Amino acid sequence: MREMIIEKLKSIVGQENIKTDYDELERYSKDETSSVEPSVPIAVVFVNNAEQVSDILKLANQYKIPVTPRGAGTGLSGGAIPKKDGIVLSLEKMNHILELDLENMAVVVEPGVITDEIQKLAEENGFFYAGDPASSESSSIGGNVAENAGGVKVLKYGPTAFHVLGLEVVLPTGEIVNFGGKMMKNVMGYDMIRLFIGSEGTLGVVTKIILRLIPKPKYSAVLLTPFGDMETAVSCVPKVLCESGILPTSIELMDRYSVEISSKFLNDNIPQQGVDCHLIFEIEALDKESLTRAYISLGEKLQQMGALEVYIADNRHQKMKIWKFRKAIAEGIIAFRPKHCMEDVGVPIKAIPALIRSTYDIARENGVEVLNFGHVGDGNVHVTFLKPETMNEEQWENSMHRSLEKLYHITANLGGTMTGEHGVGIKRKDYLNIFLTQTEIQLMKKIKQAIDPNNILNPNKIFPDRI
Amino acid sequence: MKILVLAKQVPDTDKVKIDPLTGTMIREGLDAVINPLDLHALELALCLKETHRAQITVLSMGPMSTEMVLRDTLALGADRAILLSDSAFAGSDTWATSYTLSEAVKKLNIEYDLVICGEKATDGETGQVGVEFAVLLNLPVITYVSRFVSLQNDSIVVERTVEDAYETWKVRLPALISVLRSVSEPRLPTLSGKKMSLSKKVEIYNARDLGLKNNDLGLTGSPTRVVKVYNTKLSRNCQLYMGKDLNQGIQEVVKILKNYKGSVRR
Repeated sequence: MREMIIEKLKSIVGQENIKTDYDELERYSKDETSSVEPSVPIAVVFVNNAEQVSDILKLANQYKIPVTPRGAGTGLSGGAIPKKDGIVLSLEKMNHILELDLENMAVVVEPGVITDEIQKLAEENGFFYAGDPASSESSSIGGNVAENAGGVKVLKYGPTAFHVLGLEVVLPTGEIVNFGGKMMKNVMGYDMIRLFIGSEGTLGVVTKIILRLIPKPKYSAVLLTPFGDMETAVSCVPKVLCESGILPTSIELMDRYSVEISSKFLNDNIPQQGVDCHLIFEIEALDKESLTRAYISLGEKLQQMGALEVYIADNRHQKMKIWKFRKAIAEGIIAFRPKHCMEDVGVPIKAIPALIRSTYDIARENGVEVLNFGHVGDGNVHVTFLKPETMNEEQWENSMHRSLEKLYHITANLGGTMTGEHGVGIKRKDYLNIFLTQTEIQLMKKIKQAIDPNNILNPNKIFPDRI
Repeated sequence: MKILVLAKQVPDTDKVKIDPLTGTMIREGLDAVINPLDLHALELALCLKETHRAQITVLSMGPMSTEMVLRDTLALGADRAILLSDSAFAGSDTWATSYTLSEAVKKLNIEYDLVICGEKATDGETGQVGVEFAVLLNLPVITYVSRFVSLQNDSIVVERTVEDAYETWKVRLPALISVLRSVSEPRLPTLSGKKMSLSKKVEIYNARDLGLKNNDLGLTGSPTRVVKVYNTKLSRNCQLYMGKDLNQGIQEVVKILKNYKGSVRR
């Protein structure tokens, strides 16, 4: 059976586009999620167009083979981890920018294009693609769509969904459908684009994406503000947003341990290293004068609210000097604390202080360590539990589970979400019913069943095994 | 102690693009910033200001947009910023630039014990202006300074990096040093520094203010002529050896490296 399936796949994509060696398969058995077990598929198939995707999904339906679509494999929920008896459908080779349509302020791309390449092309032409996940150097746009990726600019520009105008999708049953186009407004029937975005590769395989471009913001400044205590820092976030009259592009938090770990990774120090936390604000303006007025106004407010100092970066080099500390946190955690659990909870901004406060209590109660960083401006915090060196694996598994459960209950009570941008995937599916009712989960499952009756497309994701 | 920092404005980019027709750098759409190595020079001066109560003057020559760049040096803690700006200065080569800067120092009576500049600018990459400026003012020069060791009464001790060694030099002041990145880690400006810089004045002088003759300035006063600018093509020669014996493969690589033109033989 297995050999027969592989032969049929070869006839669709050609021998050169299928891998079955264990060493190759092992690479596709995991993504960048640390706390989920890898799972080796029977084959990895590299597709070049929507028709090949369609033929593969029809074959998968005929023989009931689980298919897991995969972009660059940078996901943080285990969404690209295949089933053992399934195949990985890699979209890496569909990596072409098909059209740059400046008159319509749109770009048409295949899913395997690395997000930064879109950004570079847009910038070269005086435009801007506002989707900017932290992984933009390595993640693919198809993955960004599948997870509705966020990033550091969501506060002002919104997540990936805000920038998608149209999609070509191959349904799990093999039909190719198109929704949307290069127009801004479209209320023709259900919003199918938003249904596919963030569906974690369970409802269809996206094969073409139309993205919206906007004029490139000309001037920006980054404010780095150290704070003596976390409570003062996070309390000022909602105040700044409500009272300053300025909507920053980003408000990012780095607690002391986050800064320590990224500094170690970069072998560099941030100003006022060792304080309780740092906040980073980025603001934009049309001209230098209004930018100066804005950063003075915002900086003075932050000083009044307890910032120990306000550092201003208004050129590229200085801005990079600040942002590199924020961007290196995740890499630092992977390098120095490989046994960790990076979370992605989101709460209404007013509840941020309560959420952060609770994480230290949870860590203390369960004997684990914790660090907090992330997009506090939009309420999305990457609470990260770390295994203490002295703790054994079994204890860690139990403590991590207890910590997560507590964190999720607190987040739910604060009116929040389990995941703001990383997705449910395998990693979080068993906790979904903390946040959603049985009816709500059943509604989602009915949609899945209607579109994928044989449950072949990325099964075993999102929904808990038991409701 | 009085420190003079020489600074240049350069385009804020890490990808210099050259116009294939004119051979000149495309500066359109790019903001100007202080040359990164000059920022390390300024940072060293600021550290000496903190430890030895030095007074810092920053001197630059360039278009009027340089005023914003010099204002940034005031925000970081420089005490005085001077810009030499005149259409007569346009097209200056390193000689005309050094001449203009050194004449300004004489005419404006700018006092200094130590002159610090970056080793080179990211746009021209000649590394000549600091040295020529020192010659015109009859100052001793130490180039490629990688570490500032100490300031002792009327002299400084610095470490310079040469190809395969470090050298430690003691030089009597006044002197000029051109510095590498490792000499300091530039600080970020603070809000109070930025606000303060808005109320300070960048002094601007033209050729007439300095009593300079047009024949000695700009393109006319520049003996250098850029005849041709072209992009070099990096070509790589990839050789692939397939075999089962790793050691044999390594020996092949060693043999290639040994015979490679420019490889170091010991």
